[in-house]
Amino acid sequence: MGDAPQLPGLRGHAYAARSSFRQPARLITREGGEGLWVDIQNDERAVLGSAHLSELRIDPPLGSAPRKVTFPDGAVFETNDHGAIEALTGRTRGSVLHHYEGFKPRLFGVVAICLAAAWVLWRYGLDIMASIAIVFTPPAVIEQIDAGSMQTIDFTMAAPSQLSDAQKADVEKVYRRLVRSLPQDVQNKHSFDLLFRDVPGMGPNAFALPGGTMVMTDAFVKEFPEPDVMAGVLGHEIGHVAEQHGLKRLYRSLSTYILIAFLAGDVGPILEDIVLEGNVLLSLSFSRAQESAADEYGLALSNEAGFDPAGLKVFFEKLSEKYGDQQPAQWTSTHPSSAARVKAIDAFIDGL
Amino acid sequence: MRASLPTGAKPFDFTGTAKEWFGIWIVNLLLSIVTLGIYSAWAKVRSKKYFYNHTYIEGRNFDYHATGKQILIGRLIVIAALIVFQVITAALPILGLLLLLGLLFIFPWLIIRSMIFNARMSSFSNVRFGFVGTVGQAFLTFIVYPILTALTLYTTFPILDRAIKRFSIDNHKLGQARFNMEVGLGPFYKAFFVAIAWVLVVGVIGAVVTGFNFAEFADAMDNADRAPAQAMKVMSLFYLLFFVAFLPAVFLYQALIRNAVYNNTTLEGGHRFASNVTAPKLLWLAVSNTVVVVFTLLLMLPWAQVRMARYLAAHTGFIPGGSMDDFVTQQQEAGGAFGDAYTDLEGIDIGLPI
Repeated sequence: MGDAPQLPGLRGHAYAARSSFRQPARLITREGGEGLWVDIQNDERAVLGSAHLSELRIDPPLGSAPRKVTFPDGAVFETNDHGAIEALTGRTRGSVLHHYEGFKPRLFGVVAICLAAAWVLWRYGLDIMASIAIVFTPPAVIEQIDAGSMQTIDFTMAAPSQLSDAQKADVEKVYRRLVRSLPQDVQNKHSFDLLFRDVPGMGPNAFALPGGTMVMTDAFVKEFPEPDVMAGVLGHEIGHVAEQHGLKRLYRSLSTYILIAFLAGDVGPILEDIVLEGNVLLSLSFSRAQESAADEYGLALSNEAGFDPAGLKVFFEKLSEKYGDQQPAQWTSTHPSSAARVKAIDAFIDGL
Repeated sequence: MRASLPTGAKPFDFTGTAKEWFGIWIVNLLLSIVTLGIYSAWAKVRSKKYFYNHTYIEGRNFDYHATGKQILIGRLIVIAALIVFQVITAALPILGLLLLLGLLFIFPWLIIRSMIFNARMSSFSNVRFGFVGTVGQAFLTFIVYPILTALTLYTTFPILDRAIKRFSIDNHKLGQARFNMEVGLGPFYKAFFVAIAWVLVVGVIGAVVTGFNFAEFADAMDNADRAPAQAMKVMSLFYLLFFVAFLPAVFLYQALIRNAVYNNTTLEGGHRFASNVTAPKLLWLAVSNTVVVVFTLLLMLPWAQVRMARYLAAHTGFIPGGSMDDFVTQQQEAGGAFGDAYTDLEGIDIGLPI
């Protein structure tokens, strides 16, 4: 622009309405009616656009990118004279944002707040979001989730139970005693059905579905017929249901996935894998926390119902005996190690 | 691979800086977190606009025109659909399977909507881009061809890759001018074989040098419980070989294909493009970027992005058929696809690696 004639006004380039021809131009302001009129004039003094200041769309500042002013008829003026545009618009919301984006020591503060906010969001925010989502989930849908899951389980891995009616009745008796000890509102909220299945791939196990359906494997009833042990494990699973761990986990993983997808943007192929893997590892600690919480709930419940809370301990001790020290490292696991859980149970019993 | 762009090529120029982009990025991130992700729609616009605005050819830059509100609406639609789908799959598995089948047909439609949106929201020198692909084409390219490719055990992968590139490029317009890619299968198969040759040669040499073999690997994996140290050793050796043999092969392929595609793409009116990226440099950038970003807990991500954008821009060129002003004047006369209001478009934007 060095050898351009020195004319008054704000220098830049312009496109006339519906044109892509880029020409040197000036932005000129003059008093007109209420407030300022703005004209674009090219070097031949032809007016390419004209409008009231309030009708202009001025793109907010973004780094050192040229500022762009769009007129109502589509004419566009761009300039690198950031100061002059800011003088024209005054302080806007966009300029506040731009101000805080500046690479100044203050940005360290933004980084720190950002890390803290990310941690708070991960630690508390996601749980709050999940709880809100749970409130809005109709009970019919949750029941249907249970029914759907049972269909899938029956289709893929489970066979009908081989247990005798007497064996089933024994378990049912323990289970109902536990359920009756629950607070009335919790009892009403969930179905608490008890189902028996022969699941060879699962070993001695019991699991609960989000709506309250409880499934016990034949192997469990055969290996642990003692009512105290049964009460310990069932109490643990009731804990998962009462504290809605299943739904929380479902919503949590859904919302983390969406958040990561939106926040991270395109971080590139290798990094994306690292971020997602990191999230999986972090959510494992969440799962371990749920298991510990369910242990505690189950212990309190079986104690309340008149069972010996040490029953759960027997279960873990027998498991460790059978499977030895094949347990993977704690941080790669969805469950805390049996040793850690036994220790927590001892602490609970001591506290009674 | 030529060392420099052909004469007459105007190189792309990326003028963004890591410092500036870092400030924008971190503020975007903070606002997105405290608004539980809602602001991320506006953040996306700001990010995209930053990279577009700072990319120049001959003093003219690109621009991105979408608003945060459009992106937010598009995302809400996608999330709502996702939630409904998730709930239905969990509650009624059989209906879920049917829906999955329906998704095969919805997916091409989403791709088209997203490409139309992105094209129309982008402009160069005040000329908007456009996209004219049809759902039928997308269905063939993204559903039928991949299935056929899988049936040939991926020996026809270069054909699929060319079809995807062709779908994307040939359907784009700048103003009224169509893009056109004329690449034979030769360059695609050449890149494919070069990449496979790398994997084989480096893999065999690596296996000989390190004494790695699959029988030992399988054996160690089966006995991971009893001899974890041995399993660890074999496992890390496996990963090392994987990185040395596969990662460079991927970048080799990408660099060759990028050059072949750009060097054979034209824009109606006698304009051409050029690219001369090299695989070693791409690989170096990607690996060093990843290492730096991981060790700075993602904080150097903006630096890495700017570094990559600079390299790609500097090695991409536009060869105008006439003068730059002639080109844009033609667009002016053609009219039609200029900056009209596209605010009724929903901002569905599913990232496609094209």
